[in-house]
Amino acid sequence: MIIKTNSASLIAVAAAAMAVSGATAVSAAGTLDTVKERGHLRCQVGPPSPGFYNLDSEGNWYGLDVSICQAVAAAIFGSKDAVEFQSVSSQARFTALANGDSDMLSRTATWTMSRDTQLGIDFLPPIFYDGQGFTVRADSGITSALELKGAKVCVKTGSTSELNLTDFSRLHDLKISQVTFEDFNVRDDTYVNGGCDAVSNDKSSMAGNNAAFPVPADHIILPETLSKEPLAPAVRQGDSQWRDVVQWSIYTLITAEELGVTKANVDDMKANSTNPSVLRMLGGESNLNEGLGLETDWAYNIIKSVGNYGEIYDAYIGSGEQAIGIKRAGTLNALWTEGGLMYSPPMR
Amino acid sequence: MAIIKAQKTTARAAPLSETSVVGWLHKNLFSSVFNTLLTLVTLYVIYLTLSSVFIWGFWDATFVAENRRECFNNSLTGACWAGVIDWFDNIFYGRYPRDQIWRINFGGLLLALWMAPLWMGRVNGKVLIAVSVIAFYPFLAGYLFAGGSKNLFLQIMVTGAIVAFAINMANMITGLTRRVSLNVFVIQLFGKTSAAEKSQRNLLLLLAGLVYAAVFFWQMSWHVEVVNWTKWGGLFLTLVISGIGIASALPGGIILALGRRSKLPVVRVLSTGFIEIFRSVPLITVLFMATTMFPLFMPEGFVLNKLVQVIIAVVLFNACYMAETVRAGLQAIPKGQFEGAHTIGLGYWGTMGLVVMPQALKHMIPNIVGSFIGLLKDTTLVSIIGLYDILGMLRSISKDVPWIGLHKEPLIFGAILFFTLCFSMSKYSRHLEVKLSAGNKH
Repeated sequence: MIIKTNSASLIAVAAAAMAVSGATAVSAAGTLDTVKERGHLRCQVGPPSPGFYNLDSEGNWYGLDVSICQAVAAAIFGSKDAVEFQSVSSQARFTALANGDSDMLSRTATWTMSRDTQLGIDFLPPIFYDGQGFTVRADSGITSALELKGAKVCVKTGSTSELNLTDFSRLHDLKISQVTFEDFNVRDDTYVNGGCDAVSNDKSSMAGNNAAFPVPADHIILPETLSKEPLAPAVRQGDSQWRDVVQWSIYTLITAEELGVTKANVDDMKANSTNPSVLRMLGGESNLNEGLGLETDWAYNIIKSVGNYGEIYDAYIGSGEQAIGIKRAGTLNALWTEGGLMYSPPMR
Repeated sequence: MAIIKAQKTTARAAPLSETSVVGWLHKNLFSSVFNTLLTLVTLYVIYLTLSSVFIWGFWDATFVAENRRECFNNSLTGACWAGVIDWFDNIFYGRYPRDQIWRINFGGLLLALWMAPLWMGRVNGKVLIAVSVIAFYPFLAGYLFAGGSKNLFLQIMVTGAIVAFAINMANMITGLTRRVSLNVFVIQLFGKTSAAEKSQRNLLLLLAGLVYAAVFFWQMSWHVEVVNWTKWGGLFLTLVISGIGIASALPGGIILALGRRSKLPVVRVLSTGFIEIFRSVPLITVLFMATTMFPLFMPEGFVLNKLVQVIIAVVLFNACYMAETVRAGLQAIPKGQFEGAHTIGLGYWGTMGLVVMPQALKHMIPNIVGSFIGLLKDTTLVSIIGLYDILGMLRSISKDVPWIGLHKEPLIFGAILFFTLCFSMSKYSRHLEVKLSAGNKH
């Protein structure tokens, strides 16, 4: 008996040691050096999600999160194509980052305290502030979520939306009954065909999905927001240099919008601008790149390849051809100068 | 008084009820009032179903549109096939670069040509053809699909594949036109029919060597550009994974089954353990293990790509199922066959290879093909771990902004595609059974 237990625990110890040594081996060499040596960035997205990361019919990835990956690739390599998109299921997303498979993830992951503190990953500045809401039929006469007493609400299972809905129902004593679905298409079909009174989901994806209903004008999104969903990219914990690279790539997008630098005018700005902030950012008269371990024109490359935050938002979330159509003005996603939360520390 | 006819009675025509359509209808559908009612009700149900499917899928459907909104504008109740059509390249080839798609088509065409002689009655050497496909084709196809620079080993194998393919084609032509195999034809051509067997063989080897050398120098001059495996997808990826799975599951299964029945305890215990462990775990667990846990145990820098991990997992998993199918077939062979083989002096491999296996495999065809069909369908599980096989692609259509929410049509299209593939496999297995006349032996 004793021998048996010993050998079993020995195996367990050996396995744990292997796991630990594997994990440390990943973080031992700096991620930036590993990425540079490999020649491309491994950026994790998820199974397609409209507006944030999806495939077009030519097989290319596009979306807000995709652009973040491309911005980081452009900062390091000067080309937004030096990135391999890894599409990982949501069950395995944080494991795949922690075990070194992915260099970073940018995939509509909500920044929560437990994820940040317990999973060995670090979240970066949010690139989209989302929140859960309700869609109802316009002719139902409902104008506020508080009128949903005893309603049947369609919701996707296994997501935070199920939990938020329960909390909301209990808080306001609404006795909402949930109808759960594995697939959002089936959920929406059920709602459109009258299977439930409302749909509850993150407002951003609801806007996109509602646009695809047979008659979109028949449905409205109620004003209440049930939850805070800051969607943020993440990197492995314990590599500050790499964290800085990704973080300041994101800040560059926001700063560029604030300073009015766009994909179209970046060359002109670099050559003719008299604004010291612009020149500092674009590498004209500063050494901001040194601390990051990147080339002097890293920020220029980002803007030249993917544009600034506002341009990206317009193209994929706002009003562009490939966008899901969520307006930006007056929301948390507006620049801080316009009353939103998009704010970057000064680049100096 | 007995009546005896001197002549044979002339045969009467079969009664009308046995030959005419009306007779058949009367006998099978309208034989009684109740059956007539049943027939009418059933016909009505069939009409209801088919007509609504027809109206949705064809009459009201939209085939040409820029996006889903246009489909809705055309008809709110019809199918929107335009989205599926727009995504055809993704569905069949995945994210493979569009200007390189010819490589996949060419690879598929090569395989079809290579295998074609197997169906031709006049061509000789079928076993050799089958062996050459399994031994050489994967290298040629692998290089075609992946591209890049060729190392020496790959150059040798690619050359071997090209030579084998050329010989196979030439053999097919001589078989079809002259009903002789290629080697006989070549000997005749050189007028050495009466020469000693050894000099005939030397001549053939010399010719093959010359061709090989020529092809080797030729292939050094060309190469195709690299296409990273992450760009593989769609039906192509499904067929790659299941093709490798099918080609290696049967040999693997035979080895494991023989191992499990072996008299050597170590071999038996290892085989049994291996089979039982892999059979007791769901495939999706094996896939998750292979892709997310495996990297944790590997030294830094050791990166086995996800596709290889998935293929290994699929092969091992299916070899275990195949092993049990093969074992069942082996157990059906009467003991007398083994004893008979021993009495004519055959050893273990002789007994198995010449006497037992050929009989056993013949009886296992329905089960083996059943496993293969299962394997083909199981490979869609890889879409869960983030490979864009055909199911992954079909599901992605509903997330592409122009086609957002379009999910029924792609899945129905996928179902039709899978039915076609699986049904033709099933038909082929019936054909094999009839040909090997396994069905009417007992």
